Amino acid sequence: MTAYLMKKGISLTAVLFLVSLTVFSVLFVLPGDPAQIILGINASPETLAALRARLGLDQPFWVQYGGWIGSLLKGTGGHSITYDTAVFDLISSRLAVTGPLALMAMAIAVALALPLGIFAARHQNRPGDAAVMAGTQVGLAVPEFWLGILLMLLFSVHWGVFTAGGFPGWGEDFRGSLKALFLPALALGLIRAAILTRLTRSSMLEVLREDYVRTARAKGLKERTVVYGHALKNALIPVLTIFGLQMGQLLAGAIIIENVFTLPGLGRLVFQAIGQRDLPVVREVVLFMAAAVVIVNFLVDLSYAAVDPRIRLDGQ
Amino acid sequence: MKNAFRFFFVVLLLVVVSTPAFSQTPVKGGSLMVCQPAEPPGLDPTANTAAAIDRVVYANIYEGLVKVDSGGGFIPGLANGWTISADGLVYTFNLRKGVVFHDGEAFDAAVAKWNLERAAVPENGNPHPEYFNGIEAIQTPDNHTLVVRLKSVDALFIAHMAEGDAVMLPMQGAGDAKSNPIGTGPFKFVKWVQGDRVEMARFDGYWNPFLPYLDRVTFRFIGDPAAQIAALKAGDIDVIGSIAAPESAMMLAKDKRFKVYAGTTTGEVIMSTNNKAAPFDNLLVRRAMAHAIDRQAVVDLVMFGYGTPIGSHWSPSTPYYEDLTGRFPYDPDKARALLKEAGYPDGFSATIKLPAIYSYSRRAGEVIADMLSKVGIDLTIEIVEWGQWIDRIFKKKEYQLTMIGHVEAWDIGIYAKPDYYFQYDSQEFRDAYANALKAPDEAGKSKWFGRCQEIIADDAVNGFLFSAPSLPVMKVGVMGWWENYPTIALDCTAVWWKQ
Repeated sequence: MTAYLMKKGISLTAVLFLVSLTVFSVLFVLPGDPAQIILGINASPETLAALRARLGLDQPFWVQYGGWIGSLLKGTGGHSITYDTAVFDLISSRLAVTGPLALMAMAIAVALALPLGIFAARHQNRPGDAAVMAGTQVGLAVPEFWLGILLMLLFSVHWGVFTAGGFPGWGEDFRGSLKALFLPALALGLIRAAILTRLTRSSMLEVLREDYVRTARAKGLKERTVVYGHALKNALIPVLTIFGLQMGQLLAGAIIIENVFTLPGLGRLVFQAIGQRDLPVVREVVLFMAAAVVIVNFLVDLSYAAVDPRIRLDGQ
Repeated sequence: MKNAFRFFFVVLLLVVVSTPAFSQTPVKGGSLMVCQPAEPPGLDPTANTAAAIDRVVYANIYEGLVKVDSGGGFIPGLANGWTISADGLVYTFNLRKGVVFHDGEAFDAAVAKWNLERAAVPENGNPHPEYFNGIEAIQTPDNHTLVVRLKSVDALFIAHMAEGDAVMLPMQGAGDAKSNPIGTGPFKFVKWVQGDRVEMARFDGYWNPFLPYLDRVTFRFIGDPAAQIAALKAGDIDVIGSIAAPESAMMLAKDKRFKVYAGTTTGEVIMSTNNKAAPFDNLLVRRAMAHAIDRQAVVDLVMFGYGTPIGSHWSPSTPYYEDLTGRFPYDPDKARALLKEAGYPDGFSATIKLPAIYSYSRRAGEVIADMLSKVGIDLTIEIVEWGQWIDRIFKKKEYQLTMIGHVEAWDIGIYAKPDYYFQYDSQEFRDAYANALKAPDEAGKSKWFGRCQEIIADDAVNGFLFSAPSLPVMKVGVMGWWENYPTIALDCTAVWWKQ
């Protein structure tokens, strides 16, 4: 186990180093002078030069990169040009929105996908299966932002039961905050549910054809026990893999839905930061998201062992 | 006693004069939720030209010596009034007494002097130090008098003093202005929930005891146009400062719950033309294009009829406007004849680069491409990302045509810079502009700023299309919202709720 953790630790460091170098290089060659974008097209040349010097943009590549890595290692990180605060503080305050949003979305997705997937597999090629499959097809085809706007029109404009975007803040109005996250989580969750349902169904179908399932049935076990006690656990491995990938994607990819619902989350932060060329924020959020994806996948690896004891992580 | 009576009489008179007979007297109280699409990059208007900053804080949190009223005139702000010496070099501002910042610091002549001197130093980050470095010396004979001596006559000095770049910051709290703005305005900053909203509350110590009417104002940042309208219809917001999609303005205007104002702004949408790139270096070609564009059709097709056609780089809402839309009337035959005279009897092909972030620009690009194709000019449309636009078009001038809105008022001076991205080089214009800046009186300003507009119109420097409409949308109960936007601001000082 220790060897495994060490191996994972080294690969995480390597990934983060490569990501940091890539994101820094990309932002370095990105067209558009950050100082000009920050100050606008009517700014005087003197102020532009002063801002470039203050941001260190007049320094060579390696000096700028080294300075950034140094600040990360010291634990201070960069300073947002737009908000005038430490990027680390920004990330932690935005994570308080994106984290719960992603969890809620995944909870909705799993709560829908597992029962529907199992139901469809057990009723293969019958009308119930066809209906579920048709539903997931729609789910796969609909883009998130459009579903978000539809939900908003229905729940906020038509029925008036939810607010149309915005976020009051956990400390001020806990229930209101939870409500504010529900519609965007539903929009994200429904689409994830479509993917997971299809996957659960196909994985379940495969397992149900295995010999041990036939044996279990032959023993005279109840169909319930066969499906939930024997088949489901084995069917879960591929579902878990996709779950992990989706979770990482959700943390990183709530960008569009956060913009539709104007949630002050990580996705909206990085989206605005790119437009405003708030480079310290872009760099560190991208780095953080890469780390989140790697860590979530690591947790998924651990959970394989919990689901299936035959899988050992230390490779012995 | 007699003085008090006189004071009340004056106030009464003002209320009677300024209130049209059909409307009610303003009521105090209530809160207003305003939607502004872009979140401002910091809250200090003296550190950045982003319009989003001024829209949130200008006249609400911060004030300058001079303010702009809803009709575009310059009115006393923190200065009660000012006098200009006969030679146009010395401005004497009488500052208001008893003005305090939201943190309790007093505003006086020393603070005003410190602000103007601070803004003139580029290292302090003001994007327009040139507004201030024409100041030779500032004297403060007493606490409420500020005497500013200029190096040379500057006809735009008062206009610049009314810009967001010239608002007054407190000497103690200026360092945190980006995240904790402290001003003298009618509303004091409460908090900025980053990524979501800026909240402000009535400032009880405001120098005008009758204002503001509202208790609280919140600016919410909703970028997506569909989400803005959903939030308005759901009742989460009360006002959309300026609606991005004119087609939805039409729809909302028909809804009994809302009202839409189609006023003017300081912005001009132009087809910027690279005057050094062939064939656009040929005056005849530029004039042919000017004749080939049907401006009213552009307004109808791109803005659904909202907006005003223009004939030069000057908005109808800015003083000294001259209507030059008749200079190049829509006339495709004339355009073809001019092209033939210029040596392009069969027309030519060119590329227009449109910035992806502005939907009006992309739409206008398509409409213009169609109009120009009718006289034989074949345009290829290329959509570019904003950073690319800044880099390739604005800085490196690698373009033939592009489409963009210039939002600042009084910005005709950009035509006096030959290295600006239009690459327009005219001694005649530079002389006229210099004369305008040196004009000591109204007649002189009117004459020379008018001349400036005429010269660039005659040279057809750019395709002058239309002045952008203001298009605020609000609930019918919102009163006192500005119909026109003669400066970049969403001023909530005199806004109130009809009961």
